[in-house]
Amino acid sequence: MAKIIDMPKLSPTMEEGQISAWHKKEGDAIGVDELLAEVETDKATMEFRSFDKGTLLKILAPAGSVVKLGQPVAIVGAAGEDVSALAAAGGGAAATQAGAAAATTPAPPSAAGPAGPPPGALAPVTTAGALPAAEGGRVRASPYVRKLARERGLTLGGVAGTGPHGRIVARDLEGLAPAVSAASAAAAPAAQDEAPEVRPLSMMRKTIAKRLTESKQTVPHFYLTIDVDAEALHTLRERINDDLATSVADDKDAPKVSFNDLVLKAVAIALTRVPAANAQFTPDAILYHRRVDLSVAVAVDDGLVTPVVRGADKKSVLAIAREVRELAGRARQKKLKPEEMAGGTFSVSNLGMFGIDEFSAVINPPEGAILAVGQVRREPVVRGDAVVPGRKLAMTLSCDHRVIDGAVGATFLKALRGLLEHPGQILVL
Amino acid sequence: MSGPTKSVRFREAIRMGMVEEMERDDRVYIVGEEVGHYQGAYKVTEGMLEKFGPKRVIDAPITESGFTGISIGAAMVGLRPIVEYMTWNFSAVAFDQILNNAAKMRQMSGGQLHVPIVFRAPNASAKQVGSQHSHAMEHFYAHVPGLKVVAPATCADAKGLMKTAIRDDDPVLYMESETLYNLKGDVPEDPEFTVPFGKASVARQGGDVTIVSWSRMVHVSLQAAEELAKEGLDVEVIDLRSLRPLDEEALVANVSKTHRAVVAYEGWPYGGVGAEVVDRIQRLAFDELDAPIERVTTLDYPMPYNAKLEQHVIPSAERVIEAVKRVAYRSA
Repeated sequence: MAKIIDMPKLSPTMEEGQISAWHKKEGDAIGVDELLAEVETDKATMEFRSFDKGTLLKILAPAGSVVKLGQPVAIVGAAGEDVSALAAAGGGAAATQAGAAAATTPAPPSAAGPAGPPPGALAPVTTAGALPAAEGGRVRASPYVRKLARERGLTLGGVAGTGPHGRIVARDLEGLAPAVSAASAAAAPAAQDEAPEVRPLSMMRKTIAKRLTESKQTVPHFYLTIDVDAEALHTLRERINDDLATSVADDKDAPKVSFNDLVLKAVAIALTRVPAANAQFTPDAILYHRRVDLSVAVAVDDGLVTPVVRGADKKSVLAIAREVRELAGRARQKKLKPEEMAGGTFSVSNLGMFGIDEFSAVINPPEGAILAVGQVRREPVVRGDAVVPGRKLAMTLSCDHRVIDGAVGATFLKALRGLLEHPGQILVL
Repeated sequence: MSGPTKSVRFREAIRMGMVEEMERDDRVYIVGEEVGHYQGAYKVTEGMLEKFGPKRVIDAPITESGFTGISIGAAMVGLRPIVEYMTWNFSAVAFDQILNNAAKMRQMSGGQLHVPIVFRAPNASAKQVGSQHSHAMEHFYAHVPGLKVVAPATCADAKGLMKTAIRDDDPVLYMESETLYNLKGDVPEDPEFTVPFGKASVARQGGDVTIVSWSRMVHVSLQAAEELAKEGLDVEVIDLRSLRPLDEEALVANVSKTHRAVVAYEGWPYGGVGAEVVDRIQRLAFDELDAPIERVTTLDYPMPYNAKLEQHVIPSAERVIEAVKRVAYRSA
């Protein structure tokens, strides 16, 4: 018998998921544990595998749809089974987005016109119900949302609904700018250029917005900046990379270490020396971690993620270098597993490659601190009694004052500077 | 509330309303089983026999249909009776009198007769009184044109609505709750303090979701609202007080503020006052709704006697919390 397949929980914190791609199409036979679709969750793109054997009779949530946990995404059953009743019951009500609707009959073009009435105009009652019909199907929106859309001159076609069955609810309109209506566009053609592009929030963007707002609003941040003489570090890195180049036949295949890899290892060692900086706040107690798991900020399309290098204090610089490259590569393809981005004890963010001298970062809760690393910059330094060309590296530590006081943060930075200015020890510790 | 107040229990607040009106108007009398010598099955009429004598505080035999019919007749010819039932469940025996005489006399006589009478009793669930004694009867009576139905949740409203009921020239059904009789609250001493019919009150201010409720369930809803506040949901609780006439204006104004509503009350889910409230909101404030309105009701069974099952069937704060989260699109 045909049954509705719901959006499963693919990560521990997932509340909704966006179908990024279907790997089966309607009519395909599917087996148990076969890959049905890929789903973008708050953490990563996850595989959605079948628990059932049969035929994929109907896709209720097309690619692009945002679907809440437990809401229908597809109907599976025996080949040729009639699913119209099921589709009407739960299924017709699947999430829809950007015109990718489940309904098969397109709305008559006259029902809504290209856009809603001009801002401020109340549509006559007779057309109100049909107002924001998107191409290919009816947009699901609460009555209040339709009223707001009329008042603000919004079109609802491209809005991702977060209510049941993808219903657009009032909170989904936050931050949306009015689309240009037919009437006002004719009156003022220039207005089209002024209207911002409306891009619905991706799952990652929502998570970043939520977590970082929470961090800045609830974690009392303070910042400590230190400037490190990076001459020795620079010399050491050149030497390491030159030596590594001799280990392979072709230079191009040679492993390399970056400044950031050296900084990561130095941070890991400094944290073992000043364990008070490797701490986490909880309502009843402070947790001092006995492990050094570094979250490394990686920029990806439309956001950033923080894969974790575990036990960084026990790994060699080259091992850290390889691991960071591998994690960053998969992060950019959104192939990281949620557990690979969880459980860090301290974060490092580096914007040196963009030419940033120094900056301060937002703490990544529940961690107690994040180190923002700038570029190694050339500047005159005083050596002995002479001003000579030198290299400097500025770093800013953002601390959660509930667990790390100024003196602790400063002690950590001092230890870190000691390691970076005498970097030979980084290689052997 | 202005002027001096007195802290009393809910049963005393009802009594204050009756005693003051009996002192004010000697056409008012009370009749019912055990209202006199026994001082009231729930001690609501305690001391009234001594104060007003057996002509105005009348012990009736166990004949609800009889003393209801006689009192409706007395009201038609000029008296203003208060009829107490031991519980509203027993009014079922007198249903024909209330439905066919009290409610219809004004219209059928072309306005020559009217029936200024108050029917009052404890209503809905108590503790393990069984399926035949746990009915929420307001739903049956509010259905009938010609009847007014009120259900106070606070001591001040208990007194004020009782006085308005006695002064009203048409039949008023006044719903109490056994579980509220011991509730304490401040009541104005002013003998002219009354509470108008058809006016809801705001029991708790909030901006996210509106809970509409009455009688005992106002207190359950307030408890739910406190729990929800801990989770960041700011809940408004409306106490309808008067079920017919119904305060449409308050419903529309409130839902226009929160855009989400839950109706929480005792009584079965099929039809009833809660369904009426939902209908008014969806019809009068359709464009304000961001979510379907939910109802939290007594489950659709005759009330079980078993204490655990009974608590499962009576609407609870937990069920109110779940419904509020659903209409707020928070995962419950």
